[in-house]
Amino acid sequence: MRSNPSEYEMAAPGSLHATVSLLAREPGVWIPIAGGTDLMVQYAAGKLPSRKLVSIWNLPELRRVEVAAREIRIGAGCTYTDLRANQVVGGEFPLLHIAARWTGSVANQNRGTIGGNIVNASPAADSLPALLVYDAELILVSVRGERRLPYASFHTGYKKTLLAADELVRAVCLPRRFAGHFSHARKVGARNAQAISKVCIAALGRLADGVVDDVCIALGSVAPVPLRLTETERTVRGKVIDSDLLLLAKKAAATEIRPIDDIRSTARYRSAVAGNLVAEFLNRLNSERIGTERGGAKEVLAKWNCLPLEKAMESILPCCGSQAWVRGMVARRPLSNESALLAASNETWHNLTPADWMEAFRSHPRIGESRPDDSLSTQSRTVQSVEWSAQEQRTVADSEAAVKIALAEANREYERRFNRIFIVCATGKSAPEILDILQQRLRNDTETELQETAEQQRQITEIRLRKWLQG
Amino acid sequence: MTDSRQSRARAEISFVVNGQARTVHAYPMERLIDVLRQQLELTGTKEGCGEGECGSCSVLIDGVLVNSCLVPVLQVQGSSVVTIEGLAAGEKLHVLQQAFLECGGAQCGICTPGMILAACHLLEGRLEPTTEEIREGLSGNLCRCTGYRQILEAVAEAARRRTAA
Repeated sequence: MRSNPSEYEMAAPGSLHATVSLLAREPGVWIPIAGGTDLMVQYAAGKLPSRKLVSIWNLPELRRVEVAAREIRIGAGCTYTDLRANQVVGGEFPLLHIAARWTGSVANQNRGTIGGNIVNASPAADSLPALLVYDAELILVSVRGERRLPYASFHTGYKKTLLAADELVRAVCLPRRFAGHFSHARKVGARNAQAISKVCIAALGRLADGVVDDVCIALGSVAPVPLRLTETERTVRGKVIDSDLLLLAKKAAATEIRPIDDIRSTARYRSAVAGNLVAEFLNRLNSERIGTERGGAKEVLAKWNCLPLEKAMESILPCCGSQAWVRGMVARRPLSNESALLAASNETWHNLTPADWMEAFRSHPRIGESRPDDSLSTQSRTVQSVEWSAQEQRTVADSEAAVKIALAEANREYERRFNRIFIVCATGKSAPEILDILQQRLRNDTETELQETAEQQRQITEIRLRKWLQG
Repeated sequence: MTDSRQSRARAEISFVVNGQARTVHAYPMERLIDVLRQQLELTGTKEGCGEGECGSCSVLIDGVLVNSCLVPVLQVQGSSVVTIEGLAAGEKLHVLQQAFLECGGAQCGICTPGMILAACHLLEGRLEPTTEEIREGLSGNLCRCTGYRQILEAVAEAARRRTAA
């Protein structure tokens, strides 16, 4: 049943002060509307609780992010696109950045606001578990003044909140103390994109001396409100992560959540998945420790996540000489750990065109030639990539003259046949082994060989990314 | 946005549409898509789902991609709106329109205006988008005919031509 617009009023006072004055004059009568991504759907279905709306879209007081020393204050009118573009959110609050990326389509991210998401109070909203784990606080405003309260207390029941009839959410405040934490987000839905979650998790953790020192876990779609799993957190805090602890954590999570059957999923499925998501987070947290001990991977990534675009591109280019890959990787920031980095790289690489692949292939020197051929030089070759190539091909450089000559000959044949240089992931392979591989690959048809070359480049990139993480 | 009339009457709302200043008399809660199609007779913008899921009503407001079925017209007061009708320069098609035509990116045509505007928004921000970036840029636009492949090719082709030009 479509609503008749002639029955509705809308005010657009243009300032925060005028808006809260209007709300105070007739409390509960005026519905604030920002980008309309939720309310216009309810309007179309004739389900709005009132016929008077007040537009708060683009109110300057609500659409800014203030960065203070101890916290950032995100205006309630900031859109998901604003959040995705914000460097501090990207660098220090990756879970919120990821949730913004997951929320709806580009068009909806351009209009949907964080304040709208909070007030709409859907238990399935992707950004709300992130706010819970970052210990967010809300600033609410009315003509009576401002008040500040923990976000965790704001949702009191299904679509019920502590917002008074004359109040607006002004800002969300996030304390800047989580930059060193391991963070993990996962959304389980019918599809990867444009799907409302069946269950989603946002979690943060930090280990010290091998035990869980700090941990925050929140789930969406498992209760009438976005839920912080305080019992589960208590169960794992101070403990070593092992298989026994995973079982205890799953059990604790099962007692805390209150999932239901609905159109998207069943209580039973949600319960099983919630336990698995908690266990997966703890496992990742544990392997992150092992990774961190190997080097300052996390610091390298945290720094890279905050770099300006050009610098970030320049930094990662030696790992793979395709400009499209570099852009894809930079666009996927923030990446919080090695496994996220490698997964992002693989996905980006597989989605490139053969022309982009070729660009990466061209950035390597011919195998057996320590110095790259200048006639093949490209802007994608860097001092670092030349040095890495030399390391990777060391066994070839040190091999016997006869093998080198055979390799040079086979290289020439390969180039005549496929019109590009031979690429192989040389790390850990001896010169005779490489010669053998080269001769086998000369028998491939064009398409098979292209795919094989792309796979070899993928392996080289993976090894280089690991080196790059060492800083 | 300073209009604060609260009576249930039509408001006078002025905005720029495809480069031309226009003033409409509309109820503030009329959806932008209805005003575009009915009052301004710009029927290139299509309605699919009417709830922001399918992207067929996509237009640009101040250069930003939005679903016009979710925008109350009062909120475009003073803004600049671009619809599919605003892309071609007279008889000369926009590079995206030409590429869609040649790559078979349009079949039944309902999603096409939205697809092209979403692609337009994407290409504004990215000089040479990767396939993945194109997929993400068009992720809110559903097509039930093409299987998307030709659409992705059309956008990549348009990006190439623009770079070459």
